[in-house]
Order: sequence, then C-alpha cells, then structure tokens
Amino acid sequence: MADLQAIVARVKNALVSSGPAPSHKAPVAPSLQPDGHRAELVSRFAREVEAVGARIIGPVAPEQLADRVAAIVRERGLKSIAVGEGVVVDLSRVGKTLSESGIEVIRTGSVDGSTRPELRKQLAQVDAGLAEADYAIASTGTLAVLSDETRPSALTLLPPASLVVVRVDRMKADLASALAALGHAALESHRLTLITGPSRTADIEKRIVMGVHGPKSLDVIVVWPRDD
Amino acid sequence: MAASPKPASFFESSEAGAADRELQRKLENASTRHLDHFAHVKAEYSDYEEERSQSRRIKEHAIAHLDELIVELTGKLKARGCAVFAAATVEEARDYIVNVARNTGSRRVVKGKSMTTEEIGLNPALENAGMEVLETDLGEYIVQLRQEPPSHIITPAIHLSKEDIGALFHEKFGIPYTSEPERLTAEARARLREGFLSADLGVTGVNFAIAETGTLVVIENEGNGRMSSTMPEVFIAVMGIEKVIPRLADVSHFLEVLARTATGQKLTTYTNFIGGPRREGEVDGPREMHVVILDNGRSTMLADPVMREALYCIRCGACLNVCPVYRHIGGHAYRSPYPGPIGSIVSPNLVGSAAGHLPFASTLCGACKDICPVKIDIPRILLHLRWKESARRDLPKWPAPAARARAGARQFARLARHPSAIRLLGKLGAIALKPFARDGWIKRMPPPFSNWTGIRDFPRPRPRRRKIGADED
Ligand code: SF4
Repeated sequence: MADLQAIVARVKNALVSSGPAPSHKAPVAPSLQPDGHRAELVSRFAREVEAVGARIIGPVAPEQLADRVAAIVRERGLKSIAVGEGVVVDLSRVGKTLSESGIEVIRTGSVDGSTRPELRKQLAQVDAGLAEADYAIASTGTLAVLSDETRPSALTLLPPASLVVVRVDRMKADLASALAALGHAALESHRLTLITGPSRTADIEKRIVMGVHGPKSLDVIVVWPRDD
Repeated sequence: MAASPKPASFFESSEAGAADRELQRKLENASTRHLDHFAHVKAEYSDYEEERSQSRRIKEHAIAHLDELIVELTGKLKARGCAVFAAATVEEARDYIVNVARNTGSRRVVKGKSMTTEEIGLNPALENAGMEVLETDLGEYIVQLRQEPPSHIITPAIHLSKEDIGALFHEKFGIPYTSEPERLTAEARARLREGFLSADLGVTGVNFAIAETGTLVVIENEGNGRMSSTMPEVFIAVMGIEKVIPRLADVSHFLEVLARTATGQKLTTYTNFIGGPRREGEVDGPREMHVVILDNGRSTMLADPVMREALYCIRCGACLNVCPVYRHIGGHAYRSPYPGPIGSIVSPNLVGSAAGHLPFASTLCGACKDICPVKIDIPRILLHLRWKESARRDLPKWPAPAARARAGARQFARLARHPSAIRLLGKLGAIALKPFARDGWIKRMPPPFSNWTGIRDFPRPRPRRRKIGADED
C-alpha cells in the first residue's frame, strides 16, 4: 500500500520548499448570531422554507400535532407512513393516532441482521416518512437531522412525501449556531444531514424539478408549546 | 448515439466549440441564469464578503498545515471504522477501488457526481473489471448515456438542450418523445431508484473533510450522494488531499459561500456529514466504508509558491460561468474533467502535459478572480504557467496560423521598443489601412498581414487626439 507516511512526507517537503504560506493566522471561529426573538426566527424560517419549495405548517401545539399530521396525510392521499423516534417531541402518540385512523404505520427501531432487510424493504415502499429534526436553521430554511438506529436517514430520503417536525426552541439563527449546538460529539458518532427543501435538480436547461431522487414534497411542522 | 471521436488537440476542439453557435446559445442561457441567481442571493446576504474572506483565510491556514491535518483526519476516520487509503497516483487509486469492488463481490456500482473519480478514470476501470457503473447525478447520467464526458463541473449536461435529452431518452429507453424536464426527470428517477436499491457499492466525491471530527462533507441537490453513501453495503469516498479543513466550526463559512456562487442557492438541498460505516442496530449506512485520499500531482502544486493557491479551490464552478473563453468554446474543448479557468490551471498537473496549452486559453480579463469565493488570483497563476510552459525545450507544436501570429507578435514586440518607430508606424498604418476597412473593421489584408487577419479582425484605425505615449510622465 502506498502509504500515508509517504504522502504526508511529500506534502511536508512541498510546504518547506515553497516557504511559509501568505498567512499563518489560525481561522477565527464563526460569529454566532444570537437566536433573537423567537417569533421573528420562526417567521424568517417559514419564509425560507417556502422559498425552497417546501410547505410550512403551524405553529402547532404539541397536543394538536397528531391531528394535524393525520390531516396532512389525508390531504396528500397517503396510505402508509413510516414514523421515526422523536428528539424532544413524542412521535409515538402521533403514530398511534395515525394507525387508529386507518393509515398503515411502520415504526422504525433498532434492527439486527435478520430484521434489517425487511425494514429496508418497507422504507423503500412506504408513501411517507415522519421524522423530527434536531435543529432548524432560520436563515436558510434548513432542517438538521441526525440519524441513528431509531431514526434512520432513509426516513427523510426514500419515501416520496417527507414530513418533518421541529420544536420551536430548536430553532437557530444560522448554520454556524446550529452546528455549534449539535456539537462535536454528535458529529463524531452520527450521520448528519442538512435538508433544505425537497430533492431537486436543475440539470436540464437549469429548469428546477422537484423529487429527482429524494422526496417530491416536504412538509415542515413547527411545534410550539402553549406555555412557551 | 456513438461517442464523438476525440479531437486531436485543444486547438481543434476549441475551434469546433467556437464554431457551434447552438452551443454558445445554451451556455449563454445557463450562465446568464446562474449569474442572475448569484447576484440575487449575494445582494441579500450582507455578510457575503466577510464569509468569502474567512473562507480564504481558512484555506490558507489549512493548506499551510496540510501534513498535520491529513494525519489528524485519517486517525479520526480509522477510529470510526473506516479504511483509509492514500494514493500517490491515479493508478494506485483506481487499483485500490477495483480491488475493494472485487473483494466485496460487487457487481453493480452507483456513483454520486465526483470530478475526482473522472480524474482517475474510474468508470472504465470498473467496467473492465466486469462491473456495471451507474452515474446517478441526473446530468452525469445523461452524459453517461451519451457516452461523453461532463462539460461543466457543476452542471455536467450544460451543453445539451431539453430536446437533445428528450431524443436521447426516446432512443435509449424507447419511451415516447418528450422534452418536458419534469417527465424526463421522472423517467430517470424510476430507473435510478431501482439502481440504488440493488447496488452493492456506492462511490462519491468529497467537498470538505473536517480533520477535527473525522467527518466528510458531501453536498448536493438531488439526493444521489445521500443514496450512494447510505444504500449500498460498501461505500467509497474519493477525495484530493487538498479537501481537508481543520475544524467543524470552519465548515459553515464555506457552506455560506459555496452554494451561493455555485448555483445561486443559500444552501444546497442536502449537506451530508458522513463519518463512518453504520453502527450496531442501524438500518441504513454501509457495512464497510473506505476513504481514498489522492495526491496525483497536488503535492507538486503545493511545492510551487504560485500554484499553491490553486489548491484553495472549492470547485464551485463559478469561474467557468463567467469566463468568456469557456462560454465560447464549451467544456469539452478543454478535454479534461476540469475545464474553464481553474481547469486550465490544474489540468496540466492532474492530467498531464497534453493540457500544457490550456493556460494560454484565457483573455486574462479577471472575471474569474472577481467571482471566486476563495479569491484565487487565477490570471496570475495562468501567467506563471505560461512563463513556465514557454521555458520548456520540447514545446509542443503550435498550429500554423497560431505560429505565424506568434512570429508576427514577436516582430511587433521588437518594434514596440522604439517609441518613435511605433508612432511613425501608427500614423503610416492609419493611412495605409484605410482602403481595407469595411464597416469599421479590417477583415482581410495581403500577406504578410494576412497572418493576423487570418485569425482575427482588426478595428479600423481612427485619428487620435492624443499621441501614443503622451500619457507617460
Ligand atoms: S477557482 Fe474559485 S471560482 Fe473557480 S471553481 Fe474554484 S473556487 Fe470556484
């Protein structure tokens, strides 16, 4: 194997032979924008979400969430939905309401070698996925979603319709603040996806088309507890 | 549709591009749209210039500490269960990937858009090893079906109209002809979805590699990078050594500028932070993850104090969109996976001396430098490369008209050293040229001046109020 040491040595030599770089200043940490007034953040977020072709729902009180999701599912004519584990919102209650109203609900959870293929198959066939974002980014209309065994990445990727919940206290002003809030530990152990709108392409004459590989539709539901 | 035969030289291919009015119309169209979007998002974001300077500073720092950062990154990746392979050459990278594919019994490979894998010529290598390779970025998929290389680093099928693509799908898939982007996209979606779910191996490039956390950042709009890196059992990420950045806190600066300059978006649809194979209990993610770190001439660029700057490039593609030469001849003319201004700089290093002419294919107008999100002084590097190239003993042969024009320019340079001679010549020329002018332009002159007019038009000389040289102090 061409080894790492050899390449590192070459790089080192190259750096020495070309002299010091124009500036050796260590990069400065991003200025974290204060999260500011909550209502303002939410309205900024809502504007950006709509600008990228997703739909904003809410604010919704936690106790109304299940009904609101059921209403979206009916309105979009979805027959089945996969529901992941929540982060700070209880999604199992939503799952229960949905299945009581006759929707086929798949709950994602830890798998082993024998149960994995089945869940994978289900996720590839289901009409919609419901997940909760760890953080939302107001300045870009972005959802920051970590994945783990109870919240697979496929939830927001494979089904043609994507529903994502985020609680209002998880709203950050900008990308730098959201990454800082997520922290190193989360990134060192989980996969993170920043989602800004439905899957899209502009590869044919720069015309924007939604749903090329991922979801065609994205509904973002902002949960805002009454006493907050 | 057969592959068009590869033109013999840059001169021929650029001439072919320059003669293609339809190509220019498409490029103009796409570039104008791109620049409109960019102007819009830039005006809206008051911190843009600040983020741009910050990105530049981080790159300067990162490249100056590249040796340490590579060690830190690989340590972190290995600790998370990734296999890391450092490839000095294209061959080493290719062989490693083909071996991984063979050892894991892979038959079907899905690829996210990656210029680095174009650079190493991965597709033919995998195909020769008996594997089926599917490009899954829509633009890449389209050019793969046409058996041609991408012509732009962000929009690979920029040289094709929706009618071209409609005809291609009709021919390849036997579906009724349509030029509706929505229907063409839906057709591709169905075919590629099937590919994602059945593929054994996924390959993508890397936009940034964060040393501190051992995280690879892959950005995209379609979801093909996400699919390629999570659906197959084996995943390989391929990156140049220059992609490493020090810290997690650095990445937001680049993300704030990259999508804006690349596509006029605030952020791309998907920004994937990938660190390792799937963990116990997880349903998606690869069982096995490999990271190939490629040198292939990059450390040589690093050793050159002028060229080093080119390693700051974050491949946003904006310099292509603003370049008058690129917009005239198109990406294929460069005959390198990296066309346009930045391509003219990196190609001679990454794809070899056949690209030695490219630094000359520039007007040095500086539009690239102005738009570059990491402020690379592209014209300066191009001049540096021209100087290096002309110092070579085994100069490749210039085509006859260009060689004659060069000889003429040399004579002119000799003359221009004598201000009085040039003034006299200017006056005489103005009189002598008058009879040749048509509509303000001189298009044809007798030899030896035909050497010039054979390749360029000359504006009709006008009486000047100020003497040449009068503005000298
Ligand atoms: S040189 Fe600058 S403008 Fe050109 S692709 Fe690289 S980063 Fe973008």
